[in-house]
Amino acid sequence: MLATIPSAVLVGVEGRPVSVEVHVSNGLPGFTVVGLPDAAVRESRDRVRAALLSSGLAWPLRRITVNLAPSGVRKGGSGLDLPIAVGVLAATGVLDVREVAGRAFVGELGLDGSVRPVAGMLALADAVGDVPVVVPSQAVAEAALTARSGIESCSTVRQLVGCLTGAEPWPDRQAEPVPSPLTGVVGQPDLCDVRGQRVARRALEVAAAGGHHLLLVGPPGSGKTMLAERIPGILPPPDRGTALEATRVHSVAGLPLPPGGLIGCPPFRAPHHGSSFVAMVGGGTAALRPGEVSLAHGGVLFLDELGEFATSVLEALRQPLEEGIVRVSRARGTVSYPARFLLVAAMNPCPCGEGGPPGSCRCSPVARERYARRLSAPLLDRFDLAVVLQRTDADDLLGGDPGEPTAVVAQRVAFARYRAATRGVVANALLSPERLAVTAPLAPAARSLLDAALRSGELSARGLHRVHRIARTVADLDGAGLLVDERHVHEALVLRSRRSVLLGEAPR
Amino acid sequence: MTAVSHARACAAALAGLEGMTPRRLVALLEQWGPEEAWSLVAAGAHPRDPECRFRAAALGVEVGAVGDRYRCAGVDVLVPEDPAYPAALRGDPGAPAVLFAMGDPEVLADRPAVAVVGTRSATPYGRQVAAELGRDLASAGVVVVSGLALGIDGAAHAGALDAGRRAAPPVGVAATGLDVAYPAVHRQLWNAVAARGAVVSEAPLGAPPRRGRFPARNRIVAGVCDVVVVVECHQRGGSIYTAEAAARRSIPVGVVPGSVRSPASAGTNALLVDGCFPVRDAEDVLVAVSLARRRVDRPDPLPVAGVPVAARVRPPRDDQRRPRGASAPPAPLAPPAPADGTAEAMVLAALDRVPTPIETVAVRTSLRVGELAQALHRLVAAGWADAGDGWWSSRYPLPGQRRPERRPVDG
Ligand SMILES: [Zn+2]
Repeated sequence: MLATIPSAVLVGVEGRPVSVEVHVSNGLPGFTVVGLPDAAVRESRDRVRAALLSSGLAWPLRRITVNLAPSGVRKGGSGLDLPIAVGVLAATGVLDVREVAGRAFVGELGLDGSVRPVAGMLALADAVGDVPVVVPSQAVAEAALTARSGIESCSTVRQLVGCLTGAEPWPDRQAEPVPSPLTGVVGQPDLCDVRGQRVARRALEVAAAGGHHLLLVGPPGSGKTMLAERIPGILPPPDRGTALEATRVHSVAGLPLPPGGLIGCPPFRAPHHGSSFVAMVGGGTAALRPGEVSLAHGGVLFLDELGEFATSVLEALRQPLEEGIVRVSRARGTVSYPARFLLVAAMNPCPCGEGGPPGSCRCSPVARERYARRLSAPLLDRFDLAVVLQRTDADDLLGGDPGEPTAVVAQRVAFARYRAATRGVVANALLSPERLAVTAPLAPAARSLLDAALRSGELSARGLHRVHRIARTVADLDGAGLLVDERHVHEALVLRSRRSVLLGEAPR
Repeated sequence: MTAVSHARACAAALAGLEGMTPRRLVALLEQWGPEEAWSLVAAGAHPRDPECRFRAAALGVEVGAVGDRYRCAGVDVLVPEDPAYPAALRGDPGAPAVLFAMGDPEVLADRPAVAVVGTRSATPYGRQVAAELGRDLASAGVVVVSGLALGIDGAAHAGALDAGRRAAPPVGVAATGLDVAYPAVHRQLWNAVAARGAVVSEAPLGAPPRRGRFPARNRIVAGVCDVVVVVECHQRGGSIYTAEAAARRSIPVGVVPGSVRSPASAGTNALLVDGCFPVRDAEDVLVAVSLARRRVDRPDPLPVAGVPVAARVRPPRDDQRRPRGASAPPAPLAPPAPADGTAEAMVLAALDRVPTPIETVAVRTSLRVGELAQALHRLVAAGWADAGDGWWSSRYPLPGQRRPERRPVDG
């Protein structure tokens, strides 16, 4: 007796269709899984057997062979429990093959006969093809994000058998929550909590509006983390494609999803500086877990204490920053995960942490130079913007204007992003020098200002384009027209990142 | 360079022995000339080297080769009997028994000398004042002495060199061997100071920078001078040693006042509280120099450690101040002030002479970041302000204008 049940497994963040063939024959009782199963799949025999017995169903004392096709794909995860169980039931005649036919199944079984959700349900439900898919009840919202029809759910094996035989109706899907709208972030920290720090707040706004990576330099207690945490709030919500990608990544990583399933607001990831290469980039031996760079997809990757991260970890950021994806190598080829994020990093200005202009702390210029050299020039080059923060002093606490609320800033950012979209890019940071010349022509005074900076050696040719892009974003935020003005360039020059922020000295 | 005599080669060889310190060198040469001292050490018979500590080190040292090495490096070896040995150091309790010199150390004879010293981690304010003092003192015929370190020391010497060929030559006191320019970025400055005046050191050729040598160097800086001026110095900074060494020798110590908010002025302001005399410009220093040199016979030096500086230093009295005459160096001229009511004028009023963080300027002016950036860049271009990263400072005091009182906020 043979039953073939469609299902899916995860490869990276993608689902791959898998066909579960269950053959039950007379012979020495036994249970064999062939077709590149991993340990979790081999263990499924014990879970399936216990689940069937707990549900009052018989476990056949016959020879059971499970083949997972295609055989070239390594199959992992516990999502194949449910199709194997259904296959066994169909092959032994407990279920009619016709009742089962035309449906795919994904889910893990508990020893008590319950059907449990698995990581990556969104990708799995997407992968099974055009047939209706039966998923665990708890995962139905996530599976529904695929926008496909024919999603059924069950919460126990017993209930599933009832539904398949027609003894009871399929559970009503009305109980499922509606997907959250893509906007409206509640419970996030608001920018109005930041008093003073006007330049830093402006840098945040420019970073969010233009997709410019941002470096925050300041002593402990100057509010670096407080500022960084508020960036997701002013970022525009991810478009539906990005939101689905982010949801897949979170789902594959087994992280809790928001009610409604879809990640509708930009994620904020702040890995510790002790994080390993695998934790940052993804991979690992057992399961190819997505790394922090992918979990930050569509949002902010915040690296506090940038200088403390391992060099290999920082170097690994290069590919995602350039291509928006990260490739994870494994024994059989590579998988790629999405990894497009705004990089925000923070560090102390000097070894003692106090920093400030020369003479304000006891670190010698040599010690500062050594500290600055810890960050490689190519890495420092990733940051478009840098702000030097001070501890908020009494002036700011008393006289500082109350911070603008997140909602107001987010509106300007959204408008700037809209302007960028009219230029064919997501954000101005991605404008090529050629597009930049067309979409951000410089007023004569602005042009001569940049020329002077170039001649004096204060700006490199590369730095010039960078300042030009930042100036475009500043102009967009100010609601300026096509022409980029002198004051926009002045502001860009103040906000741009350069190596000397770590030395406190005059830019060279 | 003339040949190095055998006696001097012996002195240099002794100074270069492994484990030698200034104090031990003084002991070895106390009752013997360099040649006898060397042969006694080499024979293991020197009574001040009973453990024959230096005998092993002296084995294999060829005095002639040492002399050649110094000749090739263009370094003179001076013992106190030499005419070129700084007269001010003779009889000093801490005088080095052997002093090495590049250039012409006799520039110190017949000229007043002022040490201009301070922290390596100096503010732009400190560097500017040091450079101005160096330039104006040199123009007034004063030998500017300093330690050739980063920050204040370097700025003072750069200023002295700026004063031109007719000004008094500078003298540097190094803490390393004279062939080891430290810090390396000051190599050019070393060569310029040695070419115009002299660079001296008690460390033998090849001696690397070592922690203990710097305070020891500072006693020589103090010893060769008539007045010591500390421009900027952190609490417990190295220049406090120089001030204390000067105070023990009854050499007046002048101090440039700084902002009470600036850590780089914490040490100098503390010295002021201790009774050092305040220095606003070269004029203040010249008054102290003329007073110091009028006391031809210096009282016996007081080799008392731990005596507070205040007990030893007397500020010059007001009525003894020279009226400000035409000989005084002109104050640097400020460029034309920005027009009232402009963003530039607002920003300039909000800038301190010590580095002001941009956030503070933003709060004081309430300007938008773009306007602020534009005003700051224009002030820098016009020469009114200095720029750093995240901070700015004004270069001149505002003429006849005080910072508007900041309105207290009702709270
Ligand atoms: Zn420091």
